[in-house]
Amino acid sequence: MDDKTRTAAGIAAGLQGLTYDDKRLAELAAEVETLNDAVRQAAAKRLTFDDDPFTFASLLEREAKK
Amino acid sequence: MRNDDPALADLSEVADEIAAGRITSVAVTEACLARIESWQPRTNAFLRLDEEKALARAKAMDAELAAGRRRGPLHGVPMAHKDMYYRKGELSTGGSAIRRDWRAPVTATVLQRLDAAGVVELGFLNMAEFAAGPTGHNVHHGHCRNPWDSKRVTGGSSSGSGASVAARMVYGALGSDTGGSIRLPASACGVVGMKATYGRVSRAGALARSWSLDHVGPLTRTVRDNARLLGVIAGHDPEDSTTSEKPVPDYEAMLDGSVSGLRIGLALPSDGPASLDMEVGTAVQAAADALGKRGARITPVTLPDFTALYRAAEVIVKCEAAAMHRPWLEKTPDAYANQVRTRMEAGFFIPATQYIDALRLRGHFVKEFLATAMDGVDAVVLPAIPFPIPTIEETDVEAQGGPATLNMVGRFTGLTRPFNTLGVPALSVPCGFDSNGAPIGLQLVGRPFDEALLYRIGHAYQGATEFHRRVPV
Repeated sequence: MDDKTRTAAGIAAGLQGLTYDDKRLAELAAEVETLNDAVRQAAAKRLTFDDDPFTFASLLEREAKK
Repeated sequence: MRNDDPALADLSEVADEIAAGRITSVAVTEACLARIESWQPRTNAFLRLDEEKALARAKAMDAELAAGRRRGPLHGVPMAHKDMYYRKGELSTGGSAIRRDWRAPVTATVLQRLDAAGVVELGFLNMAEFAAGPTGHNVHHGHCRNPWDSKRVTGGSSSGSGASVAARMVYGALGSDTGGSIRLPASACGVVGMKATYGRVSRAGALARSWSLDHVGPLTRTVRDNARLLGVIAGHDPEDSTTSEKPVPDYEAMLDGSVSGLRIGLALPSDGPASLDMEVGTAVQAAADALGKRGARITPVTLPDFTALYRAAEVIVKCEAAAMHRPWLEKTPDAYANQVRTRMEAGFFIPATQYIDALRLRGHFVKEFLATAMDGVDAVVLPAIPFPIPTIEETDVEAQGGPATLNMVGRFTGLTRPFNTLGVPALSVPCGFDSNGAPIGLQLVGRPFDEALLYRIGHAYQGATEFHRRVPV
């Protein structure tokens, strides 16, 4: 079991109270790594302290054609 | 009416005929029931049909009209909906085994609005389990089958909505769209499907797939029908705090404006996971040319790299779905299809910070999209599904998972899911048929709350073409 799979096992059993076999944990670790990396990289390029998730709806309203 | 069989008429046409007293709601309901009898065995589009209740309602609508009361623009019109819109006290399965016997405690706002407009509800329609799946497979209730070729998928997750409208079993149906689930079945079945701006239509009383990305919307035979339906269901709802207070335009009244001078961007992705099959690209190019002949100015545009946006959407869906399904995933995991369960599980492992950042990124993605692909154009056209419609067998992840099958299924949402993350309106309109005889869909994308413009373009396109007039036999 590699480090990432071991981390996934720890989250499953220790934090979420869920049980998965080693093969599934390895798959989940790989999937989560891909998703996390993509969001982390996108966030690093774009997000600032003041970015608020709730501004999305107001942005849609503001960007509507007048 | 153009046809002897009233079931073959359009929703707006039949509604106007009923209003004028030239046909009764009972007659059109009986016509739809006859179509259902003929087409249900071939499509499995309905999960539940209530003929008695529908006919009683149709009689009541006729009686009201005879007494001088017309409820609204859909008075007496038969419809059916994806089996995820709650009606108080009635079954609502969500396409699942888990909720096979569950009865809803409330009635969805959109059903209340359709009731108030005079709709006759025929029953509830097949869908992907818990609205999770782009093809129309369902291991619990049977796969939904494409009316154009029963070996082929309908698209999903609003599979029964697409199939029932295409086969003229109903005049219109509600679907829902978290990553393409209105536009994919609309495209694959050759009908019109609108995913309006996030916040335009209430989600209250609709089974959720992902609160942040779910959109409620109509599937119909024509753009005019779709405009009429959206006009009835759209608008602020105190039961859904994410709905907009913007006034709802009279979409149908705005249909007939010219497209001359409109600037339309044409996007034909040539690489990446959503790269185009040639015959789909040819059909979409031809659709753009048809709009060009009507005076629209067509210019090529390049879509931004949607990879980060797509991944952000996956993070949001998986985290929200894992949270809402947790009790069932813990107690009865085997009650899910494997592919439905496994698609949610990563949500338990994604850090909350990543989920929040995915939500925070949406505003940036919207600004970037408007500043690039939408810069200098009024709308963008592109395919809804980038490849010809595959068979049920080819895409059966449950029966034959494996990289090729998973890859094909994954590609379904390559050109639809990004617009859920962006929240902008997107309309699918039939624009041709592939060499297998299955429909091809043209997707029109606009600025926030610009549904009226998309309808105007789609209506002009349908005025120039006949694809929407073809009926499966």
